[in-house]
Amino acid sequence: MSAIGNGTNIFWHECPVGKSERQKLLDQKGCVVWITGLSGSGKSTLACSLSRELHAKGKLSYVLDGDNLRHGLNKDLGFKFEDRTENIRRVGEVAKLFADAGLICIASLISPYRKDRDACRAMLPDLSFIEASTVYMNMPLELCEERDAKGLYKLARAKKIKGFTGIDDPYEPPLNCEIELSLQDGVCPPPGTMSGRVVTYLEEKGFLEDK
Amino acid sequence: MSVSFQLEDRRMGSPFMDSAGLQLYAKRVYIHSCRKPNLQVTKRSLKLNMATVGNSTNIFWHDCPVGRHERQKLLDQKGCVVWITGLSGSGKSTLACSLSRELHAKGKLSYVLDGDNLRHGLNKDLGFKVEDRTENIRRVGEVAKLFADAGLICIASLISPYRKDRDACRAMLPASSFIEVYMNMPLELCEERDAKGLYKLARAGKIKGFTGIDDPYEPPLNCEIELSQQDGVCPPPGTMAGRVVTYLEEKGFLEYK
Repeated sequence: MSAIGNGTNIFWHECPVGKSERQKLLDQKGCVVWITGLSGSGKSTLACSLSRELHAKGKLSYVLDGDNLRHGLNKDLGFKFEDRTENIRRVGEVAKLFADAGLICIASLISPYRKDRDACRAMLPDLSFIEASTVYMNMPLELCEERDAKGLYKLARAKKIKGFTGIDDPYEPPLNCEIELSLQDGVCPPPGTMSGRVVTYLEEKGFLEDK
Repeated sequence: MSVSFQLEDRRMGSPFMDSAGLQLYAKRVYIHSCRKPNLQVTKRSLKLNMATVGNSTNIFWHDCPVGRHERQKLLDQKGCVVWITGLSGSGKSTLACSLSRELHAKGKLSYVLDGDNLRHGLNKDLGFKVEDRTENIRRVGEVAKLFADAGLICIASLISPYRKDRDACRAMLPASSFIEVYMNMPLELCEERDAKGLYKLARAGKIKGFTGIDDPYEPPLNCEIELSQQDGVCPPPGTMAGRVVTYLEEKGFLEYK
């Protein structure tokens, strides 16, 4: 029995069917692929492309999209600093559950603060947390703004949105990410090419089979 | 079921201003059968009201080509939530584990969301006062919904003492995908077991607001499965798990068709 956080008298219940059994059933290893970058850098597009490629290989994945989660689990959170931190924390905890369930969990969120991403990394055992940076100097702000897929940069520049990442709130690029995706000769690679790189990485690291 | 609409793109105002909010008419949006609470379908148009999603503004919905149906086909099962409710010590966690083992033996993928375990992680910031219990249940419901959407049979095992909170979780899911299992074991039995020594502490006044002692448990009024003593004896976990598996089989959750 333990006092965990604000919950006292909490126990831990083990089950006979654990991560190894589920991984054997699925013939893959559970992990988290964390896609971070500016708004409009292509995170959701990459996440979908990646899930499609994995599905084509018979692998089970699930996308946790930052926007989608703000419709449900995180609908009580806004965009102020502490809410962003709590948003990331909750997504990290849920991603950990999905990885434990044996899925390849693809988390797609701006997640602008390094401290918060590092805290998620610390939740997972070594090597199961893969951070894929899609922006890091290479999907420049200008490109994201030019796309302005949701019209948000325009609103931010007109000061109709405050605290918008990249405009008046910082984005802290990763210092040590596993995969960095960037422009090639000034051109953004197609989503399929970028997801192909992630799939190759997962294959090489042995996540696409249970051995 | 998926439907596509030809729609008009129009935006007005901004949720950060004093005005009412932003509305987006999206071109060629595919709507899946799972619910999106911020969608309203009118005659020939689709409104995606970005501004009214809780405290999050300027939020969009991102659809993916790989959806629930594709995952269910891959797993050869249908995602759902089995919500096990009952007093502390009624056998919820035991049933959850027994159920997951039986499902695994049939080659079906399930995942247990145990109330205690979740209070080690996602819900570690919550205590046991009323509003915290409500938030605890809400979060577990939302996560269970995600697992069901992922195609898994998600087994949630929590006291979840308040009817209103359980009903709110039921409302999050498509009809018939929420299977409420009531562990109807008498307080005396649970207290006699006192597997975690909590009833003793509660009786001694060392724990306040303990369900069944000085906090209410509201039994379900319309649960899908009720498990109770047979001739004054609690059935073995395997027997009770078997009843749930039979239910899932009969309702078609253990295959993709």
